[in-house]
Amino acid sequence: MTSPFLTRNAVADADSLALLQLRRDQIIPTILRDHDDENQGYWEGKVTNTRFGSFPHSTLIGQPWGAQIVASKVDTGSRGRPSTKRKAEELDAETTTGAEEDKKRPSLRAPVSADSGFLHILAPTPEAWTLSLPHRTQVVYTPDYSYILHRLRVRPGCTVIEAGAGSGSFTHASARAVFNGYPGTEEATKRRRLGKVCSFEFHEGRAAKVQQELKDHGLDGIVEATHRDVYEDGFLLGDPKTGKSPKANAIFLDLPAPWLALKHLVRNPPPGQESALDPESPAYICTFSPCLEQAERTIRTMRKLSWLNISMVEVAQRRLDVKRDRVGLDTEGVRGATMFPKTVEEAVAKLRSDEQRAKLIRENRMTKGQPDYQPIAKETPFYKEKTDVPVYAQGRLTHRSEPDLRTHTSYLVFAILPRAWSEEEEQKCRDQWPSAKVAKPDNEPKTSKKQMKRDAAVERARLRDEQKQLEEKSQLESGDKIEEEKLEKESTEA
Amino acid sequence: MHSYIRPGQFVAIRLQSDQLRLIQIIPDTVVNLGRFGNFTANQIIGRPFYFTFEILDACDDAGHQLRVVSATELHAETLLADGEGDGEGDDVDTGENGIPMRTNRQINDENSSQKLTLQEIEELKREAGGAGKDIVAKLLESHSAIDQKTAFSLAKYTLRKRKKYLKRFTVLPLDVGLLANYLIEERDAQKAMELRDEHIGLIGCWGNVHHSGNVEVGEGMKPHGRYAIVDETGGLVVAAMAERMGILYPHDADEDPTEEQDPPAHNAAESQHTDEPPKPRRIRPQPMSATTNTITVIHPYSQPNLSLLKFFGYDTNNPDESHPLHTHLKSISWMQLADPNSDPLYANEPPIIPAEELAELKQSKRTAYYHKRNRWGRVKAVVDEGRAGNFDGLIVSTLLEPASVLKTMVPLLAGSAPVVVYSPTVESLVELTDMYSTARRTAFINKKRELESQSPEGEAVDLSSLHEEFVVDPTILLPPTLQTSRVRPWQVLPGRTHPLMTGRGGAEGYLFHGVRVFPTTQNIQAAGNVRKRRKVETTSTPISDRDVEMTS
Repeated sequence: MTSPFLTRNAVADADSLALLQLRRDQIIPTILRDHDDENQGYWEGKVTNTRFGSFPHSTLIGQPWGAQIVASKVDTGSRGRPSTKRKAEELDAETTTGAEEDKKRPSLRAPVSADSGFLHILAPTPEAWTLSLPHRTQVVYTPDYSYILHRLRVRPGCTVIEAGAGSGSFTHASARAVFNGYPGTEEATKRRRLGKVCSFEFHEGRAAKVQQELKDHGLDGIVEATHRDVYEDGFLLGDPKTGKSPKANAIFLDLPAPWLALKHLVRNPPPGQESALDPESPAYICTFSPCLEQAERTIRTMRKLSWLNISMVEVAQRRLDVKRDRVGLDTEGVRGATMFPKTVEEAVAKLRSDEQRAKLIRENRMTKGQPDYQPIAKETPFYKEKTDVPVYAQGRLTHRSEPDLRTHTSYLVFAILPRAWSEEEEQKCRDQWPSAKVAKPDNEPKTSKKQMKRDAAVERARLRDEQKQLEEKSQLESGDKIEEEKLEKESTEA
Repeated sequence: MHSYIRPGQFVAIRLQSDQLRLIQIIPDTVVNLGRFGNFTANQIIGRPFYFTFEILDACDDAGHQLRVVSATELHAETLLADGEGDGEGDDVDTGENGIPMRTNRQINDENSSQKLTLQEIEELKREAGGAGKDIVAKLLESHSAIDQKTAFSLAKYTLRKRKKYLKRFTVLPLDVGLLANYLIEERDAQKAMELRDEHIGLIGCWGNVHHSGNVEVGEGMKPHGRYAIVDETGGLVVAAMAERMGILYPHDADEDPTEEQDPPAHNAAESQHTDEPPKPRRIRPQPMSATTNTITVIHPYSQPNLSLLKFFGYDTNNPDESHPLHTHLKSISWMQLADPNSDPLYANEPPIIPAEELAELKQSKRTAYYHKRNRWGRVKAVVDEGRAGNFDGLIVSTLLEPASVLKTMVPLLAGSAPVVVYSPTVESLVELTDMYSTARRTAFINKKRELESQSPEGEAVDLSSLHEEFVVDPTILLPPTLQTSRVRPWQVLPGRTHPLMTGRGGAEGYLFHGVRVFPTTQNIQAAGNVRKRRKVETTSTPISDRDVEMTS
């Protein structure tokens, strides 16, 4: 099974995860079903209800990713009290067999568009999933995991150990980072290492939920989730003592006491056991601890266990809100604007015009009793003149941090453990690359600039000729391509 | 994976002074580290990364001059300073009443404590011939106030002197993270747009850049993993994304299923079947020929500037055909994208010469003909493919006006494809975010509807005035988000843990991102708070900043 996180079709398919985006941080993850798997009794089949309307899945399946979907008129009220007719049907259904029951199920009604409400259907990504996932534990958010995966040098084909699967946000992100193919589809002859995530969780309930989630998301071939207390039992796959080594290149520990797990991440494990690390590459580690004491203790243990390049950082990320700030006397009735003079000139003009008007009123009041009395005409203030600037472009463009900041997530401790290096390996290298061999004496007399230029010109000409010859060859080859391919096929078949 | 130092590879060498040097390791040559000495490259080829070597004063019999410094030795100073070397948990030397016993009260803030003069030190250097340890020991000996120092300040002093005189270096694999740090620390950071690790990570994640896997592109599917990149950092962003896609390193190709098996396995197979006919010549892969897992770079001049890729074994001027980027990296100029027929390479198809005529031509003429035909075919294929769009993501770090890039590129994205724009400074991105503000979106939709209702039935609507007023279509990108991130490094020692005292300033770095969406053609109203909607009706101003109010 493929995963919509990694390789996806152009449209949203039934039985795969889709994210329904209501607004920026309101995303509802749902698995699209063409039937009502929970049997909630909607006439339209499976329905997702949101604060912006109801969305039968029949209006979502088959839509291109990114499409805006209009809400439907769904009767959410009456399904709780089924009509007598339906009750009779259900009674019937109980007595009939399963196959017949399917036939008797009332046919689904076509959904009718509502007047208002919509959402966008988005393809799942680890980022959107992180925003929408059901929280089981504290979540590792995008600014942290993006930095961690980058620093851990997690690339396609790597193997990552993750301890403390938690809510699964890091699991999804690291699965994407290591992904370079689904297992089982590759021919056996190819010697290619497929990326893998080995996730460990000591809480049984959470481990089961993670496993189910990964299955639903089609990631179960890439992530191997194990229920395990890694302080005690380490990181070997299968049996804690005799199991297979995951051969990890990178390790992420989101545990309360990472120093207790470090003893299982060494190059020379107790006899009879395999090291959980990849013997042929350096191991990169990151631990994620909210408190300084935890980080200090981890670092002390790392130094004792010969980890190198130990460093600790914290990530401070903020989102910015962009707004147009409007100040001016002409902003009456405009939301978010401040009615206040924009400039000294405007303040003076306002005072002056107020003063003049007050004077006018005073004079007018004096003539009140007289026969030719006329009330003062209402006039629009000077600042209410129309401008050509559309409202969306008025005011000054400003940015400020979002109202709620995550000021501290955790301390990230990074370290590297180089691969083990034996005397034999060193000797082999010395044999292959003789230590003292130097091709050219280092103190070769420098040639003059002129000579160098001359040499370069000759070299260029030579290269040109060579290039030409090469191209000719390539032409010949491309002509022979088909034949060659045939030959190759035959030889492989043979 | 960087398992060992390969010959011909670029590596980074970190010196004791914390300086970084990028050096290509060519067999049988001498690597010169300036005042930190020199060594022959053969002595580190094939060895693992992250080893710290010390250059010894004398070679052994085989001419080997490097010694691997163990981790314990490296940690010795820090562990001493850690208060663990002398078995004390408590670090500050305190008296009975808790007052620190040794303070800097008695220490003169002058340079008079070191009794060795500069000349004497220079002489020592000459005499010792590079035995840095001796110099450090002498320096410590002749320091008059050494007993006044606390354990930490002594450790700090020793460490500082060691850094200055010990001939040690560490070999690090040159990857994107290291290159970015090198550019910031040792080079002109602005040329690489002051791109830091935290932003490289964020760009890749929000851009959803990843390997496209081994799935056959079947029916109802489009080729996976096609990313469009606008990169004016000299190739750093391209390199970072290629790293995530598994096409950056030359040895990535070994693992590529389309490539042949790596030599050792091949040899083994041959030795078993010696009587097998010789293998047919390898078919040379055409440049830019890959269909999945590709990067398309869009560049303003006729050639893209991707010079930094040379550190990963890919020189754009003289590309190595076995490098995965040779087939997976495509480039199009903005002109080819916007108006391909103005480009002579694209528009002027070299006339086809019939086969019999071709056979009579001179060898060189024939080569030239094939060369031209192939180049034209390649350019045409890449440009047509780019113009057809359906990219899986857009990554932008550019000197161009971001809105002008998005105006052209967002319509070329597949549904739900992410857009990420990086900028060292915030101003251009604030403007860009405002281009997608709710108020503007509402105004856009209203104006579009107005134009549509004005135009006669059955005729195409003239939307040119709409596109004049609105640089970008604000309805096809949601939700515009602006963010920044910075890591803060700490010093961690028991009792003396604190953030580092100094750090690098410069541009903060900002990231804009959104997702390509398709607005429905139906005329619909947003659902939500009724009170607010009534307000919309009474005033003509689009007043809200929130999605609830959005009509579309």
